[in-house]
Amino acid sequence: MPAGSLALLTQGAVVSLLLAAGAIIGGTLLAILLAAMAFSRFAAVRIVYRVYVYIVRGTPLLVLALILFYAMPALDLRTGPYIAGTLVLIIYTGALFAEVFRGGVLAIPRPQWESARSLGLPPLAMFRKIVVPLVTRYTLPSYVNVCVMTFAVFTILGLAAAFYFVMCFGIDRLGRMLERHLALRGFAGVRA
Amino acid sequence: MSFTRWVTIYGPTYATALVWTAITALAAACGAIVWGCLLLLLRLSGGGWGARAVDGYVQLFRNTPVLLPIYLIYFAFPLIGLPWPAVVCGTLALILQNGAYVSEILRGSVNAIDRVQFDAARSIGLAPWSTFRKIVLPQVLVYSIPALGNQIVLLLKDTSLLSAISITELTMQAKLLTEQTGAAYEAFIVVAVLYLVLVSGTEVAFRVTHRAVRWL
Amino acid sequence: MIAIRGLQKSFGAVQVLHGIDLDIADGEVVALIGRSGCGKTTLLRCINFLEEYEAGEICLDGEPLWYRPGSDGARRRVPEAEARRMRQQMGIVFQQYNLFPHMTVLDNVVLGPRFSQAVSAPEAEALGRRLLARVGLEGKMAAYPAQLSGGQQQRVAIARALAMRPKVLLFDEITSALDPELVGEVEDVIRSLLSDRIMMVLVTHAVGFAREVAHRIAYIADGAIAELGPPSEVLDRPKDPGLKEFLRRVRA
Repeated sequence: MPAGSLALLTQGAVVSLLLAAGAIIGGTLLAILLAAMAFSRFAAVRIVYRVYVYIVRGTPLLVLALILFYAMPALDLRTGPYIAGTLVLIIYTGALFAEVFRGGVLAIPRPQWESARSLGLPPLAMFRKIVVPLVTRYTLPSYVNVCVMTFAVFTILGLAAAFYFVMCFGIDRLGRMLERHLALRGFAGVRA
Repeated sequence: MSFTRWVTIYGPTYATALVWTAITALAAACGAIVWGCLLLLLRLSGGGWGARAVDGYVQLFRNTPVLLPIYLIYFAFPLIGLPWPAVVCGTLALILQNGAYVSEILRGSVNAIDRVQFDAARSIGLAPWSTFRKIVLPQVLVYSIPALGNQIVLLLKDTSLLSAISITELTMQAKLLTEQTGAAYEAFIVVAVLYLVLVSGTEVAFRVTHRAVRWL
Repeated sequence: MIAIRGLQKSFGAVQVLHGIDLDIADGEVVALIGRSGCGKTTLLRCINFLEEYEAGEICLDGEPLWYRPGSDGARRRVPEAEARRMRQQMGIVFQQYNLFPHMTVLDNVVLGPRFSQAVSAPEAEALGRRLLARVGLEGKMAAYPAQLSGGQQQRVAIARALAMRPKVLLFDEITSALDPELVGEVEDVIRSLLSDRIMMVLVTHAVGFAREVAHRIAYIADGAIAELGPPSEVLDRPKDPGLKEFLRRVRA
């Protein structure tokens, strides 16, 4: 039994890691889209960004998760805490990463923007060769911070799930032991 | 049921929960700032082992999920003869956790103080405790206001985790109402709005304080 | 040649340029001098449209730049793609933070030709090497800007501007942020460019250097050209009282 629960614990840990990685990847992709919105020339789009970040950062993660879990009937029953947790974390880290990226873009010194414009660089080249490398350099520590936080959240899920699994399996084993015991005593196994 | 009806019926219930959230947040915030200052003092005055001890403390609380101290204190304290109420346990956990972050914020600000001031303090014969109290601490606190504001907002949101130990703050209240009435949307959207109000209020309060103090 | 007519520019409620008229002949070097806030940098930045302007016209070799009458006759910005094409005919060097820190010196120089002018990689690299050798930095091609001194960085910035084969070079106080002993090497590069007969506009505080390289000097005050002429006249026989005061202060 102890060996079994250790295996379950590690399994829980591995699953947590994979889901956290998924949340981070999803969050980063969402954040790139959001950051683009933050710098849109349309005020309406920028407002949508500000509102999104305001709501997602102003609400506790638990509340966001519960809103998704309870109030989105299409998702809750079938998917369970893992998928809902990943989804919430994509939404949450999306906002956090977007603010990090936005800060990185604002940190680029103005003469470098102007050099790029003065060289007549087309937008794609400007993004690929100037914006992405510089923003990556500026934002790496903050980005890593958010990743660490995401892993931390998933370890909670992992730990809780591991306990849950251990208890469930324990009860299950107990149940089967009882059944065998009862069968030996002449009771026909009652199978649902 | 319509939204306005929901709000009028359950308004008072939410109000109680809101008070609990606000009280725990306020108490934990004050406690965390005081505890962070003490940790800073320990780091600055304890020599080699002082700094190392504080570093160890900070690493411990940074790398463990916030829920862990909450559960630990709540479940373990009664076992060692301290059957404190859930609110106290939860607030204590938040203080210990956030105190670590506060001490790191303050540490960053200490480095922003010009070295020259320490020399000046020594040359007028100021004792270490007085130096800390009259020169270091005031400046550090003022420099730290924006970062502390951020941290307090995080603390405010972490009070939602106290629902895990059955404290009837906002998140717990939302869960209870959902179970009672099945109206999950209404229950949680009201709570989300209330959190947004609290968070915005806190941010504004810190911005105003920052501006006011910089004038001095 | 460049023809500027009636250029007016405001920042919000503050009008900074009050109608600038200036002609720059092919191969001419014009220096813009004046006190801080007089509008000389703003004028420079309008020329390559880093700043928009409310009224006036800037023509390069007869082609009006940056604005065009729309179908309704009103003044319209040219489309971004065309603005990019127009900008490629001008090179600009700033006071600081010119180079892209994440690229080597050579990559900085070939970036423009490769991605804006669709020059092939080997051709761009050859061009880059030539220009870097010309500014005296052929040994630093694989270095990163952070490894270079301020003067070296500015020289790379000049090479980068030259790589676009511009018709006009714009310099915005390029030696103001340098340690004094590094100013000379940058000024040497500018001197060497005189033989290329490219149009150059220099915003500068270094009045002595302006005297040496400029064909004409414009003294800007309160957003207008207060005095314009060859260095021997503007600097030695100033007529405008503001200019006299300015020169007195600069020399003292």
